Amino acid sequence: MAVTNRRADFEATLTRTAEARGREAGAALERASLWRDAVHRFSRNRAAVVAAFAFLAMLVFVIFVPIFSNEDPYAVDFSQSFLSPSLAHPFGTDEFGRDLFVRTALGGRISIGIGFAATFAIMIVGILYGSISGFAGGWVDNGLMRFLDALYGLPYLPFAIITLAIFGTTNFYTMVVALTVASWFTTARVMRGQIITLKENDYVRAANALGARWYRILFRHLLPNTLGVILIFVFLELPGVVLGEAFLSFLGMGVEPPKASWGTLAQDGYTSYLAHPYIIVIPSLCISWLILSAFFIADGLRDALDPRTRQNF
Amino acid sequence: MLKFIVRRVAWTIPVLLLVILMTFLMMRLIKGNPFQVTERPVPPAIQANLERQFHLDQPWYMQYVYYVKGVFTANLGPSLQQRDRDVNDIIKEHFPVSLKLGGLAMLFAIVVGIPLGIIAALKQNTPIDYFVMAIVNAGYALPNFLIATLLIYFFAVKWGAHTPFPTNGWAGWESWILPMIALGHAPMTVLARIVRGSMLETLQADYIRTAKAKGLRWRRVVGLHVLRNSLIPAVTAAGPLLGYLIAGSFIVETIFGIPGIGRYFIISVASRDYSVTMGITVLLSIIIIVANLVVDILYGFLDPRTRDVRT
Amino acid sequence: MALLEVNDLHTFFKTRAGEVRAVDGISFEVEAGTMLGIVGESGCGKSVTMLSLMGLVMPPGRVVEGSAMFQGRDLLKLSQKQLEDVRGHEIGMIFQDPMTSLNPTLTIGTQLTETLRRHLDMNRKEARKRAVELLEEVHIPNAERRLDDYPHRYSGGMRQRVMIAIAISCNPKLLIADEPTTALDVTVQAGVLDLLHELRSLHDMSVIIITHDMGVVAETANDIIVMYAGQVVEHAPALDLFDNPEHPYTEALLAALPQVEGEGMREGRLLSIPGRPPDLIAPPPACRFAPRCMYAGHDNCATVPPDLREIRPGHWVRSVHPASERAAEPVGAP
Repeated sequence: MAVTNRRADFEATLTRTAEARGREAGAALERASLWRDAVHRFSRNRAAVVAAFAFLAMLVFVIFVPIFSNEDPYAVDFSQSFLSPSLAHPFGTDEFGRDLFVRTALGGRISIGIGFAATFAIMIVGILYGSISGFAGGWVDNGLMRFLDALYGLPYLPFAIITLAIFGTTNFYTMVVALTVASWFTTARVMRGQIITLKENDYVRAANALGARWYRILFRHLLPNTLGVILIFVFLELPGVVLGEAFLSFLGMGVEPPKASWGTLAQDGYTSYLAHPYIIVIPSLCISWLILSAFFIADGLRDALDPRTRQNF
Repeated sequence: MLKFIVRRVAWTIPVLLLVILMTFLMMRLIKGNPFQVTERPVPPAIQANLERQFHLDQPWYMQYVYYVKGVFTANLGPSLQQRDRDVNDIIKEHFPVSLKLGGLAMLFAIVVGIPLGIIAALKQNTPIDYFVMAIVNAGYALPNFLIATLLIYFFAVKWGAHTPFPTNGWAGWESWILPMIALGHAPMTVLARIVRGSMLETLQADYIRTAKAKGLRWRRVVGLHVLRNSLIPAVTAAGPLLGYLIAGSFIVETIFGIPGIGRYFIISVASRDYSVTMGITVLLSIIIIVANLVVDILYGFLDPRTRDVRT
Repeated sequence: MALLEVNDLHTFFKTRAGEVRAVDGISFEVEAGTMLGIVGESGCGKSVTMLSLMGLVMPPGRVVEGSAMFQGRDLLKLSQKQLEDVRGHEIGMIFQDPMTSLNPTLTIGTQLTETLRRHLDMNRKEARKRAVELLEEVHIPNAERRLDDYPHRYSGGMRQRVMIAIAISCNPKLLIADEPTTALDVTVQAGVLDLLHELRSLHDMSVIIITHDMGVVAETANDIIVMYAGQVVEHAPALDLFDNPEHPYTEALLAALPQVEGEGMREGRLLSIPGRPPDLIAPPPACRFAPRCMYAGHDNCATVPPDLREIRPGHWVRSVHPASERAAEPVGAP
């Protein structure tokens, strides 16, 4: 048949052609690492890059302003009270005459500090719980997840408030604990989901089939992949935690004075905002700044680390 | 389907018991809580009432049982601070207010948020999309205490005496507008985002291409095929939205001076009226659990696939 | 007068890297009552061609040039509203993946009747009755009851049949089937193809079937077009194409078919065509297949783009070295 004859001809020249082609093709490929790829993709997302800079700018502000400022954030001077924003006092002064520029920066240290600490704690608890549940599987997993489902029934703010009431006082640590206790559920569930997906993943099975031990699987295979998700989650949880702290502070349960967070500054401003709105507007906008930048960074990370899950904010 | 519903409903009981247990245990850790016999700054008349109500002579697990019984018989005990008033009375007085506010805020979120999300999705990557999403994202980031105070500032201070929306007092429908916006704007932004994302995803779907290839009018393609598939995920957001509403209500009620249970919760904590604190927490938990139940069942109705997969 | 006459169609996609010339000068005709097979590897532009005809190309793609005369009108010049009237009514289309091509939240019945009511102005009862008939025509058992089922209750093969039912429901003159069997098991494939064949003669419908599997068109198509890199490289009646392929690409495709038994049977590696399809943003200036062609020489192959010419009556090829003009031995590898 005609086709068979042509096949024989074709085969004869195949090796020659293939060799020539192969030499050409081999040259081009460069080994790109996962992270470098991700960084590249991240930098293509303009919103994320802008947000990253904004976030950094915020960090610079809270870290360096108190160091370089000449104002004493705790000095009370009633002759200076309630000055509107000006060159001398970019954010104005409060009712005690304290410079709000410095106080806002200091407040930022506390708010962001609580934010990161609580997020970190939530990650730890969530990862532990989720990993145990995911790895164990079976009825342990079932039971732990049911328990978690039940916990969703607890209202967030009352729960946090009750926790603070148990401690009796609010400082950095009690606030972190209260926020963590009220918010770890979602992370636990997501982590468990991650562990389960990865556990069932083919390349883990392959590693298993090759006789790798569980800790090797965990560290070489599971964790690097989960790391990306964890990073994204940090920037997703951070705004929620900071907002939670702000709410609690606004309701009067924030850190004790004279220390202040953005939330307590807002609460301070609340008593006199009708006449001096800037006192409440400024710390609130700082919170917004953090929320927005964290959100767009998380979006960019999501794109960068796994373009398949692309959503349009 | 029925099996699914029954199972789901049955599941709420243990969840509720667990939640009450956790609240109960946590409350016991607070100094001056109603379940301790020692160091209570409570007048003796109330003390006697408490001992009777909460069975303080019994071990803690029995106290818990009695409390649960109380929950199911709608008897949450007496107030620690206010004579002659039960937790029930307080709740009866303040809860309807919160319910109304929350309902209005939810309505606002739905009526404004969903259309915004739809518009943004249909006009993706056009200036309309960017504009809408800019507003939405900004709204999401601004804390509701800022929105509330700014609203009051503009309508009360700047506008003066003839403001269309009064900010104190509780008369007439006008006074509900500003609190509704303050409370509802965060859920509104969440809904808008979800709807937009969901619609964008649906618009890419193969079955939408099929619908177009069938020659259906675009109106129908969007109105039926796209919307039905896009709005279903929005329903699942109802749970977290409720959380936003509850947390937000604490703040908004406080700022606007609305006599709801959110505000009362804060008052009860501040005045150490812990039986009220406990009662309100349990009430809110019940609401959350029931709401989640309703959402789950609703989702089962809306998405035909879930009806057959799970029982 | 052919049912469909496509002339010099160009469809490009604007991307950040450049403009992708996905369809770069396609022309063909489909006569009434015949089946045309379009064959080619992934990315050669066969699906985009069909989507262009139906006006379903999504941005950043757009039809840049060309005409598609169908029943006296140029499809490419119609407004969206006019196209909506044509789609589903005059031209039906079925797609590759039956698992995702049906709306999961609407019943099969709704998805069938909505087309009928849209184009044929039927009322609810009439449409339902016709829908049952259609399901029976595509051999779905228990049609009446299954009308109220949701798509997830149907298997892949059954869903594809439903898609076919929807596509032919308004008696279109032309049915376009884009890889209708690719996502199905081999055993189910045969059933679907038979069904298409049966319906074609029953309804006197023309069919364009797109596939990358030569075997699918071997038995049923009247004419076959072979596409490569956005262009037609060979166009011939089916028998002639299989017996006497002219273009080196066609030959390679046929040679790559695994022969499991019979005289052509071989053991050892499967043959494949070395190299990859060209970048369509900057395609090779002359013959697009030249980089992978074993007959390509240092002559016109690299400098002059070959035109589609009629090497025999009814048999067109776009090549500098078609089989019947070649010397006895291949020219050799570059």
